Amino acid sequence: MYTNTLRKKMEDRAVHLLCLTASSGVPLYCRSRGTSQKQLPFPVIGSLNGVHMFGSNQDVLLTTTCTENARVAWRVFHSSITLIVLTSDDCASDLYLGRLLENVFNAMVLVVGLDDLINIKNVERLKRDLRASYQLIDSFLEVSEMVGDLVQCVDCVLSNNNGVLQSCLDAFTQAAESQFGCLLVRGKVVVATEKWWRLSAQEVMLLAWLVASLAPCSSRDYPIYLPQGSPTVPHRFLSFQLLPGVDVCVLCGPTPSLQEVENELVERFWKPLLEPLKDCLRIQARAFPGCISLHQGIMGLLLINREQKKSLYTVQPHAGEARPESTLSAEERQSVLRSFYTLAVSRYFVSEDGEDKSMSTQEEFQAGFSHRGKECYVVSSDHKCYGIQHEQHQLFLLFKPEVPTFALRNITTKTLVVFTKELPFC
Amino acid sequence: CARALVFGGNVIASETGLSCPDRYKSSKGKEYLTNILREKRRKIFGLIERPVLPPQVAADTASYKIFVSGKSGVGKTALVSKIAGLEVPCVHHETTGIQTTVTYWPVKLRDSERVIMFRFQFWDCGEAALKKFDHILPACKEKLDAILLLFSFTDRSSFDDLPNHMLRSVTDSENIVKVVVGTKFDQFMHTDVTEKEVQEFQLTWLLPVFRMKSVNGPWLSDGRTLDGRAGLAEVAHLLNALAERLWHQDQVAAGLVAGTSYAQEN
Repeated sequence: MYTNTLRKKMEDRAVHLLCLTASSGVPLYCRSRGTSQKQLPFPVIGSLNGVHMFGSNQDVLLTTTCTENARVAWRVFHSSITLIVLTSDDCASDLYLGRLLENVFNAMVLVVGLDDLINIKNVERLKRDLRASYQLIDSFLEVSEMVGDLVQCVDCVLSNNNGVLQSCLDAFTQAAESQFGCLLVRGKVVVATEKWWRLSAQEVMLLAWLVASLAPCSSRDYPIYLPQGSPTVPHRFLSFQLLPGVDVCVLCGPTPSLQEVENELVERFWKPLLEPLKDCLRIQARAFPGCISLHQGIMGLLLINREQKKSLYTVQPHAGEARPESTLSAEERQSVLRSFYTLAVSRYFVSEDGEDKSMSTQEEFQAGFSHRGKECYVVSSDHKCYGIQHEQHQLFLLFKPEVPTFALRNITTKTLVVFTKELPFC
Repeated sequence: CARALVFGGNVIASETGLSCPDRYKSSKGKEYLTNILREKRRKIFGLIERPVLPPQVAADTASYKIFVSGKSGVGKTALVSKIAGLEVPCVHHETTGIQTTVTYWPVKLRDSERVIMFRFQFWDCGEAALKKFDHILPACKEKLDAILLLFSFTDRSSFDDLPNHMLRSVTDSENIVKVVVGTKFDQFMHTDVTEKEVQEFQLTWLLPVFRMKSVNGPWLSDGRTLDGRAGLAEVAHLLNALAERLWHQDQVAAGLVAGTSYAQEN
């Protein structure tokens, strides 16, 4: 009963996304989430765009605003596409909204290519072409079990069989005349080739979300543009459903054909690994194998490898029967962990490289402190959180309220050691 | 001869003029179908999986590549989803690139105890990508066994275009099974094509025309999962027809059966 009301509450948080041409303000599409799936009235769309345009005519950059019941963020890409997001979710941070708009624009580039978005010759045709990106865009608006959209590091699954899966993937990718290969389980990366990790973090995340967002099929040959690596020249993105929920993907040029790879390589390489692949499915919600046991007070975990741009994210950190009763539902745990991450990185763990452009527009007093924190925590009536930042890793843990506050730091440090010293997620 | 095609214990459809044996016996049919159903749901198989048949049944697998052809929005993806027991997308999205879907269909031959597991792989691609990228159409047509030519009952022009459509899509027509499917038959109120016209088309071109609804079949009591058995019943006539024609074509190719094309023989 309680979870039902909660789910309803979360669905009620409407999100509206508007995409317009920057020069003329012609709407290209609107996507919405939430019970109020009604499209925004045209005058509202016009005003939202108008106020932004008015600002830019006065040399004022309007980025975000909030009203009593809504938050709005604007962003113009390449002086050609304006994206506006409007949400009634009061937990939505500027950081999240900024990244959401970036993800959406990258999704558009991925599907139609940058050229068609910068030089808009035929608005009606562009509208039609953009329809192909709706599924991916909608997946960014939905409440997700993944966190890659927010942290910009792809969600991973740590399997016991990473070694054998990695060597199989390397051999399979090579046989498919490619260097870019990746094994996904429900949108999370199990293993990927070395070259795959050299794609930008956003591209790695987008491709994983693309496969998760499309309707399941046995195999596909999907033309994609890489937003950073190749925004104007398309590549072929092949994916093969080894098991329902488990896909292997390769990026390649004109050859080999989909049929060749499927008939000659897929079974030959992957059939012997049926059991390890099934095992990946079993552990995917937890994201790491059962042999790792964490402190019973932990309700959620987000570990980010900042160098390799990977993340491990789970709100079911305990295997099987060892699962302790939790005061919060899974959706709440996800929401709390995401909020805590946002708070930590926007206030305390501010990144030095200044890659986050939304930060640069903040007033100095808003940006937090002149020094950078290394650890931070939050204590509330129904949960506690602790975050640690090291040079290479960030770890955010969600605890039950019963765990004594003085123990949080110790548990977090020990947990980080488990994942960084004793496991391959280094 | 008119013959009731019995399958899974239910009479699914009556077909006329089938020279091939009817392969479905009520009890047997049910037994083999359990391999593609799991508790009333359709099983979905990954590429490295196969339906497991009881060991006493020596089932051979026969794999076929089938290209689903038709103009944009005619319902290609919806048809493939229905056949595979997947949810029909509620809003139309043009398919990007090529999308293939594998479906298994167990068939028992009447004359022997042999069970053939038909493995159909449907190749579906969106029109925009097809025009934009050169490699897509050749990839779909490479080593093709059958083609489904789609028209929509709600779009007159797609029906009128069928003869041209055939010329465009099939170059060497000799070894390719051709089947015409009329989609969106659920919207009979808006139908633009009459029954008589369909009959005439069948006679003129000697091609079978199948009618298909482009909406989801019944749901199970949980309201979220499609009823696999009911869904199969809706597509069984098409799968049977494909199986028969493809099997016949293989027999002819192997010189086991005399005859040129299936349609002429009938």
